[in-house]
Amino acid sequence: MSKNKSSESVKVVVRCRPLNRKEESNGPAGGIVQMDLRLGQVILRNPRAPASDPQKTFTFDAVYDASSKQRDLYDESVRPLIDSVLAGFNGTIFAYGQTGTGKTYTMQGAWMDPEKRGVIPNAFDHIFTHISRSQSDKQYLVRASYLEIYLEEVRDLLDPKHGSARALELRESPESGVYVRDLTSCVCKSIKEIEEVMNMGNQARAVGATDMNEHSSRSHALFLITVECSQPGPDGRKHIRVGRLNLVDLAGSERQAKTGVQGERLKEAAKINLSLSALGNVISALADGRSSHVPYRDSKLTRLLQDSLGGNAKTVMVATLGPSSLHYDETLTTLRYANRAKNIQNQPRVNEDPKDALLREFQMEIARLRAQLNHRKWRSKQKKEQVDGEAWERDEDEESEGEEEEEEVVEKDAEEYVKLEEQRLEMEKEAIKGDQFMLAEEKQRLLGEKERMMGDLRKEQEATAQLTAKYKAMESKLLVGGKNIIDHTNEQQKMLEMKRQEIAEQSRSEREIQQQMLVQDDETLELRETFTSLQQEVEAKTKKLKKLYAKLQCIKAEIKDVNDEHVRSRQELEQTQNELTRELKFKYLIIENFIPPEEKNKIMNRLTFDP
Amino acid sequence: MAYKDADCRKTPKKKKKKKTNMASLSSDEWRAICDKFTNAQNLTDVESRNDPENDLFRSKYKARELLREIYCSLKSFEAGEGDEDGGAESSEQRAAEPPVDGQREDGFGEGFSGDSPAGLRAAKLGAVEYYLGVNHVDTEELSAGQEHLMNCMKQLGRCRVTSENVSLFIHVRNQLGILWAGRDETETAQGFLETAESIYQRYMKEDGSPPTDMTEYFTSEEKLPTHQERTKRFELAYTHTMYYLAQVYQNLGETERAATYCHTTLQRQLQLNQFSPMEWALNAATLSQYYITKGRYMEGRHCLSAATVISGLAGEAPSEAVAQESETESDRREQLRQKRAEIARCWIKYCLNVLQDSKKLLEDNIGELDTDRQEELKRARRQEEEDEEKGRKSALLFGSEDTFDSIASLEEKVCCLSPLDFTEARGVFLVGQNYVKQAKEYFQMDGYVTDHIEILQDHSALFRGLAFFEEDLERRCKMHKRRVDMLEPICNDLNAQYYLLIRRQLMFELAEIYNEMMDLKLTLANRQADTQSLDNHTIKKFNSLCSASAKYFQMFLDSLCSPEGKVPEHLEEEVLRPALVARFRVARLHSRLISPLLSAQLDNLNKSLENYKYVAEYCETHPEAAAAVETELELSKEMVGLLPLKINRLKAKMATNN
Repeated sequence: MSKNKSSESVKVVVRCRPLNRKEESNGPAGGIVQMDLRLGQVILRNPRAPASDPQKTFTFDAVYDASSKQRDLYDESVRPLIDSVLAGFNGTIFAYGQTGTGKTYTMQGAWMDPEKRGVIPNAFDHIFTHISRSQSDKQYLVRASYLEIYLEEVRDLLDPKHGSARALELRESPESGVYVRDLTSCVCKSIKEIEEVMNMGNQARAVGATDMNEHSSRSHALFLITVECSQPGPDGRKHIRVGRLNLVDLAGSERQAKTGVQGERLKEAAKINLSLSALGNVISALADGRSSHVPYRDSKLTRLLQDSLGGNAKTVMVATLGPSSLHYDETLTTLRYANRAKNIQNQPRVNEDPKDALLREFQMEIARLRAQLNHRKWRSKQKKEQVDGEAWERDEDEESEGEEEEEEVVEKDAEEYVKLEEQRLEMEKEAIKGDQFMLAEEKQRLLGEKERMMGDLRKEQEATAQLTAKYKAMESKLLVGGKNIIDHTNEQQKMLEMKRQEIAEQSRSEREIQQQMLVQDDETLELRETFTSLQQEVEAKTKKLKKLYAKLQCIKAEIKDVNDEHVRSRQELEQTQNELTRELKFKYLIIENFIPPEEKNKIMNRLTFDP
Repeated sequence: MAYKDADCRKTPKKKKKKKTNMASLSSDEWRAICDKFTNAQNLTDVESRNDPENDLFRSKYKARELLREIYCSLKSFEAGEGDEDGGAESSEQRAAEPPVDGQREDGFGEGFSGDSPAGLRAAKLGAVEYYLGVNHVDTEELSAGQEHLMNCMKQLGRCRVTSENVSLFIHVRNQLGILWAGRDETETAQGFLETAESIYQRYMKEDGSPPTDMTEYFTSEEKLPTHQERTKRFELAYTHTMYYLAQVYQNLGETERAATYCHTTLQRQLQLNQFSPMEWALNAATLSQYYITKGRYMEGRHCLSAATVISGLAGEAPSEAVAQESETESDRREQLRQKRAEIARCWIKYCLNVLQDSKKLLEDNIGELDTDRQEELKRARRQEEEDEEKGRKSALLFGSEDTFDSIASLEEKVCCLSPLDFTEARGVFLVGQNYVKQAKEYFQMDGYVTDHIEILQDHSALFRGLAFFEEDLERRCKMHKRRVDMLEPICNDLNAQYYLLIRRQLMFELAEIYNEMMDLKLTLANRQADTQSLDNHTIKKFNSLCSASAKYFQMFLDSLCSPEGKVPEHLEEEVLRPALVARFRVARLHSRLISPLLSAQLDNLNKSLENYKYVAEYCETHPEAAAAVETELELSKEMVGLLPLKINRLKAKMATNN
């Protein structure tokens, strides 16, 4: 296939969990799933079919068997995605599979045990480590949102009033596409903070779960992380890149099938809606047409993730399987779905200098605050000049110390200035008091004035302090790279990580090459048409024959499956027919024996067939 | 419906007598049964909502126990009382009836009369079986539920349909219909539901008095419902039958029947006053969209008019100021405004489809108004108008006395026949444009980008439809200019990444509009100055339109390229035809540009040739593409052959000039 270079397909990896104790005890022959880690293949055995039947084989980007570690999956399949998010791409990770196959284990894992931490905590770790190790001219802003979609309603899991809060609305803007209006977004400065955000959301989700039955298996959870990075470009201006990471925990796939994500719509559609409130759905299914307007829209999940499936994003899908023979059908469905997902093409692009970057707003706000502070400083300096000439020189020294300490300087200045001012005022007060010649009234007035001046002074001081605090708060939200390189181990760790990445990269490419080899095997056979001897030709032909024969068997088996099904349904139909015939005979017997012929004729005459 | 309130005042006495009759047997015991029943109902409907997750059906199981007890007590009554029961008992031993409920005359034949003591007892037992059946179905024990429901059918099988049991007849079939549909046995479900339908119709024809509700069997006398209440419950059950049938037909692929039943469901909701105005209106508007895609504009218009009138019953949307103060008010405002805007959009589609259909009808082979055809259709019009009148009488109409007139008057504002001349077309257009205005008030660019643009595209298409009927070319050109004015700024403002597809549509449309305008200008100029050559001003205008059109086609083509600006080797199926057509049009436009300079002419011709070549070559390397652009390909190939000659001639001319 010739494709655009820019497009890449959704990466699909498959993971199978070990048998659990219950399955071990009652499953006779162990798992039905075999995995070839080297080739990235999953081989599925039908427990109900005879052993001679060919097994179903699916090939994926990577497969992980029961013994795989969380770390392996992360390093090989997820790490590159997170790296591209940090480079300004959009990335999405889906977990898909039947309930109880380890979706949550894969995504979240056990937080306490570093070995068992899932994709999400590892991604957090990855992002913040990356930030702390990057060069100091880069500024980062990390934001996190957490929402769930339950019964077509978008709910904010970070809203403190989650239970009572209204459902959020999806909106679109001409510049940035679909977004969720009023979604809480938390700025996170460290792993701890983002973990807290996640836990808060999980709790809110759990609360919801007790309110409604089967809530969790029906709701989709989306954890959204936005990483904005600003870096001075070669033109001297700061360039901002925004990467968005969506971590999606889909509802159990058995529900998926029923919500129509798959082709299995028919089964569900046959169910009748009992409540008249669903009349709208029934009608809108009728009015399906291009030239008409149907006021009921796409599902919310589809709209939110439209970029991830066939849009501007890199996407990894982790399909989870259970090895038990009890779940053969579900496992097959999951594999087929995952196999289809491989064909979805995305066109990821770096989001450079988007208009909505919050980081830019922050930077501007900080610049504004700094300007205000400077202005104040300048004003206070002027005042001080009037009061005391000495302070001026010191000021000059301080100014040269650079921007970094400016705010401190301002504070110090302000303090000093206030002190001086107070002293001056006190002195004046004393002087006034001491002035025996003044009228008492006059004295009072002057004193009052002085008091007021003191008050003004204090107010001003407070305002400055507030401004400084605000400035600091703003700036602290921005993460600057390079701050944390204190420990020497960092470098080594980085090296280690790089090595690990290389290894992962290599094992990945090895697998790819293996897969390619398999494909090319087929091709080379066809290409090798110039044979040196008859012997070789025979050999090659036999090999080819064998291959084709195996394929034939596969297809035959498929045909047989279908045939069996038909036979079964035919038998059922025959049975029904027999029953019906018997019934009819029985009825006739009754009519013959119990109804007098003239009565029967009468009845027959009055019968009409009403189709 | 035939049923009138006045008919129903005759029956009640008979009923009461028999009820006391039954109760007098042992009034205390009877009262206990009634209490148990009330309890069970309460458990099922109210308590069950609070059941904990780990014991999902707690209340339902409790209710089931109570129902079983009632059943036993009833049975013991029966044993103590009836002697004719022996026969009935044995009839239960018959071979199980097939589940299909095909016999149409069901229930109207022989058997106990519903108001005989035996009939009443059967109905009571049947009712308990019914409730047990529903209970089992609710707790996911389908086959047990089916058995109970079939027992109920059996009990009823011994009776004739009368006002005492008709409600149960319908309810039990509704439930069985649902049950079988859930098992994917749609035809079986259809059988039950259709029987329910025919029972209802026959009952209403032959009796029509307000029937006893099933709950009444176990209600002490002082709590008996009123006639209105009875009618309401009975009619609601039948509304559900209609609704389920609509779904069954839909699942069977019989869309037209499904639509009719949806229509009936809506009509009944309105008639029986069991609807929420906004929801109803939106459903009616959606149904209209089914009708307009089928070309049934009269029905479509009726649905839409009813939708608008009924949505008015929901009251005015709260003002912005009020909405700011309370959350519920702002929700309400949002809801009302959104749904009304949705209805307006359905109206837009109606007007658009009417215009476009009639355009198709009147178009000759070069897309201009065919006057002969127009005359012919005008002559046929009178006949059509009569048909409309007839159709209106036979169609299912919405509305009660108070809304009927307003619906009809709204219908009169826009015609449902294809407009045949400019005045008629303008009428339709203006109505459409008015709804465009309404819809845009809610679906603003900021927040509803996709919706807003869809509305604009419809508006543009309305203009396009109208322009077809306009004979004055100058004015026609102005209409196209209006289209450009509404689409062009948006096309340039949208984020190219997130709105790629929409932008492609807009680019293509803009390119076509400019092309159209260019053609119009040329025709106009030729008309005015028959023999003389074109004046400078016209040439300038022509050239600018020509290059604008080429520019948008080129933009469209560029949007297909990779970020590095590389032309894709392989065109995806959904852009294959547009892309090749755009190429072809670009080629054509370049060759039409007027320039006095020979070098510029040469440039244009070369560009033109290049694009023609692309089309021809692409189809050569991708043979599957040829079918999509047959005529364009043929012309392109021809041009690839001819243009080099022209270019050479031009080159020669340049050489001699130099």
